Amino acid sequence: MIWKIARKEFLLNLMTFKFAVGTILCVILVIVFVPVLAKDYLQRLEEYNRNVTANEAELRKVMVYKNILPTVYRPPNVLSVFSEGIEKRLGTSAKIPHFDVPEVSATTDEVNPYMSMFPALDVSLVLRIVFSALALLAAYNVISGEREQGTLKLILSSSIPRHHVLIGKFLAGLMVLIVPVTIVFILSLMLLLSFPMIELSAANWAGIGLMYIASLIFISAMYNLGLFFSSLMKQSAISLILGLFTWVIFVVIVPSGSIYLATQISPLESREKLQAQREMTIQEYRDKQREASGKFPNWRGPKSDAEGAFGMGYTVVCDESCLHDSAKAYPLMQSIVSNYSNSIWRLELSRFDGLLKQKHLAGNIARFSPVSMYENVMSILAQSDFGSFRSFMDDTRSYRDEITEYIRSKTYNFSSYSYFTICTEEDAKGYKKNIKPFSESLKSENEQDRERARENFDKWTNGIMARRSPLDLQDFPRFNYRPGVANSIKRAIPDIALLVIVNILLFSLSFVAFVRYDVRSD
Amino acid sequence: MIWHIVRKEIYENLLSLRFMLSLILIISLFAAGSFIFVGKYRQQSQDYWEKTNKNLADLSKSLGRLNDLAFFEQQIFRKPKLLALCVEGHEKSFPNYVRFNIFSIGLPEVKSSVNFTLPHFSDVNWVFIISLVLSFVAFVLTFDSICGEKEAGTLRMMLANKIPRYKVLLGKYCGAMLTLCIPLLFGLVVSLIIVITSHVADVSGLEWLKILVVVALSLLYLSVFVFLGVFVSCRATCSANCMVVLLLVWVGLVILVPSLGRTASNMLSETPTRVELNRKLYETERQMWDSSDKFGKNAGNSYADVNDPRMNLPARARLYNALTNAKNGIIEDHHNKMMAQALTGRNFTCLSPTAVYQRASEVVAGVGIGRCTDFYRQAKRYQMNLKEFIRSKDAEDPDSRHLIFDEDNSRGAFDWRTISKRPVDFAAVPKFDERDLGLGQSLKLAVWDIGLLLLFNLVCFAASFVSFLKYDVR
Repeated sequence: MIWKIARKEFLLNLMTFKFAVGTILCVILVIVFVPVLAKDYLQRLEEYNRNVTANEAELRKVMVYKNILPTVYRPPNVLSVFSEGIEKRLGTSAKIPHFDVPEVSATTDEVNPYMSMFPALDVSLVLRIVFSALALLAAYNVISGEREQGTLKLILSSSIPRHHVLIGKFLAGLMVLIVPVTIVFILSLMLLLSFPMIELSAANWAGIGLMYIASLIFISAMYNLGLFFSSLMKQSAISLILGLFTWVIFVVIVPSGSIYLATQISPLESREKLQAQREMTIQEYRDKQREASGKFPNWRGPKSDAEGAFGMGYTVVCDESCLHDSAKAYPLMQSIVSNYSNSIWRLELSRFDGLLKQKHLAGNIARFSPVSMYENVMSILAQSDFGSFRSFMDDTRSYRDEITEYIRSKTYNFSSYSYFTICTEEDAKGYKKNIKPFSESLKSENEQDRERARENFDKWTNGIMARRSPLDLQDFPRFNYRPGVANSIKRAIPDIALLVIVNILLFSLSFVAFVRYDVRSD
Repeated sequence: MIWHIVRKEIYENLLSLRFMLSLILIISLFAAGSFIFVGKYRQQSQDYWEKTNKNLADLSKSLGRLNDLAFFEQQIFRKPKLLALCVEGHEKSFPNYVRFNIFSIGLPEVKSSVNFTLPHFSDVNWVFIISLVLSFVAFVLTFDSICGEKEAGTLRMMLANKIPRYKVLLGKYCGAMLTLCIPLLFGLVVSLIIVITSHVADVSGLEWLKILVVVALSLLYLSVFVFLGVFVSCRATCSANCMVVLLLVWVGLVILVPSLGRTASNMLSETPTRVELNRKLYETERQMWDSSDKFGKNAGNSYADVNDPRMNLPARARLYNALTNAKNGIIEDHHNKMMAQALTGRNFTCLSPTAVYQRASEVVAGVGIGRCTDFYRQAKRYQMNLKEFIRSKDAEDPDSRHLIFDEDNSRGAFDWRTISKRPVDFAAVPKFDERDLGLGQSLKLAVWDIGLLLLFNLVCFAASFVSFLKYDVR
């Protein structure tokens, strides 16, 4: 009997005006949005590839280990078409200097700050606004409408239990709403895949599948809300109005209000204070460094004679004392750096944790609305939320350690000459002999003499440079950022579970209301 | 007769559930929004004055010598506005800070602790409540105004009397508008009482006038929605269908079209990037230095001794000034491009009355993107004034070479004495003070938007009028 009711309702609803208008609107929106979003993704992908290639090219030019200063890039995420989250507002690159304090920056500023007046646009916007309205519209007259028409009396006069009627109605609503959701997902996928450059990995497919399921759970929750109002009120107009007011609160007021409240309840620590703290630590580090470098009078510090990879210079040749001092200075400097880099990293993280705390608060307040829960789930599944960015930051951090370890192993704990120079012991011995005429010529008045001495010296250094080839970095660790699906599913579970609970709660409420429902018409 | 209908409509609405729900919702939103506004405004003003006073204190410290004043980097911030109570215009994510000396001015920057991990959101202010919630209430009040009466059969009875149809229509319209005014006015009064009793700031006469204009704009905006509701109600077969259509129209006009702005500006205009800006600046600088002899012999070289016969200071000043002008031009060009990109999207969204209304009230209240450009413009004008001031003071000093250019202060201005080293009187130095636009000027800027709102009203009125005249009441 449940199926009979469900089938009848399903067919009835499928033919209705509201269903047609809603579905057509969704289809049009998807056709407009998806190609634009896909193009945007391709643009970002192109930039990412260009950056990664440039980075590789620089790596091939590295002459000394000290110059290894790669930048890692965060690949754009194809699922951001479905849910943009905050993906575009977070940094896409991080510089990894192993010899200095790391600068892992989340570039917060958009390319054009004035563009921030427009809200983000993605497929989940269509789903959460249009579909939630559609679900309410499908449900508002399910019970109260039948009562007004008098057909509810007829149904209940046969020997059918009330919960069968309610379950039948619920299943019918769900079946009807699955149709537009499926259309939207299939259409978006088709449009997305029509771009030959876009490829979806297995993880992407899994993400999309989960987003589909999450959308169904969300739509069903909104339908249950409508069903509850319908079985609570005697007139369908009143259940409609109640439903719509709740909808406006969920869609418009809660998402804005929650953030507004959160920023007032837990205001951010001022950036200047953190900046000052950071500068203080850096200053302390520089002092320590200066103090340590005092022990090595012949160390040339980061001075350099030739342009190397990543815009860094290196020492081509120097005298023996400088060579020996530097070989002792660099390991010491490195140990100072690793201490301070950790404390600065912690400062950086504390800033992010402050942001995160506010975000969590806003998220928790917004959990009052199923629409916000759904938005959250979608951005987690599309890996465009802050958690995914945090994992990028952690990966960056461990990549830095990996590089440091690699260089340490290659250069006997930074003490090998190849760490900072291409000069060998023998070249250093020849240095004095070659620099002498040059430095003596500086005193001479004759410009031609000076010129000639310089030329001779340059010839000698160029000879050294010509003998050396770039380092072989075949086994250099490469950055591999792969956000795990398992991890994002784990993070999405609480909100999905909440949505399921909302479903159960609302359905039981409508059950209670319907069991006590007075079917008599006035 | 028309007042009969209006009175009946109002009484009916007042007793309905939807009216009660709207009233409670709207008043609580107004109250909550104002409470939070008061706290925020207080905090913002305190921050603003702290930073501004610090800037002035630093400025007064640098007044030992005129050349130091010329090279002093001032840091100025945008003033918080009381009228942000009415409309906020995304100001919190817009640049609010600019740094300059008399030679160069940077791009305006965002200097506030904004949590970028949170989605951009609008404060719950008057325009937010009116454009999103009250517009929705307008639809809820009007969706059954015609077709509901037809379903109930009362429309027939009414039209069987000698009353002309347009009077019925106007009666319905006025009834709905007046009903809408009740929660609106209550809300406004509650909000104003909260703000005034908290003594955060005095509301000036100009501000009162501006508030009145914003309220008038709000009524104009709501009237579009009432007409639209009546129009759809005339066209729909039953009130349920009418609500469906209106809901979708509302979603489209109020939420979707304004969200399309980003897409539109990305499609219709180019995105200016920092990389490109830096490349241009770098190239221009290199080019200028390479062709420095164009400005005079040895313009690109400097020597330790200022009396070295090879030193050509006037040529060097010309080179530096040309360089400064070129760089400033590039930065201004970049800023204009950013503005143009944002405004393209904004103009596109004006298909929706919501966007038009928001823009008009932003202009009237003196907030939003227009105000940000104005702030930047005022900063530049102030920079020019200060330069003139320094030029005139410099002219009084016979020891100075009167060559005001952007060479490193300690070398150029101090050692070479290109600018006077005499002390300056702090009181005489012009100081930056951000000025609001007058009401007339704001209205002049908003006149297109007001015209558009009137046009929307007219179109919706004509549509509903024609539909109702041809309406089959059977």
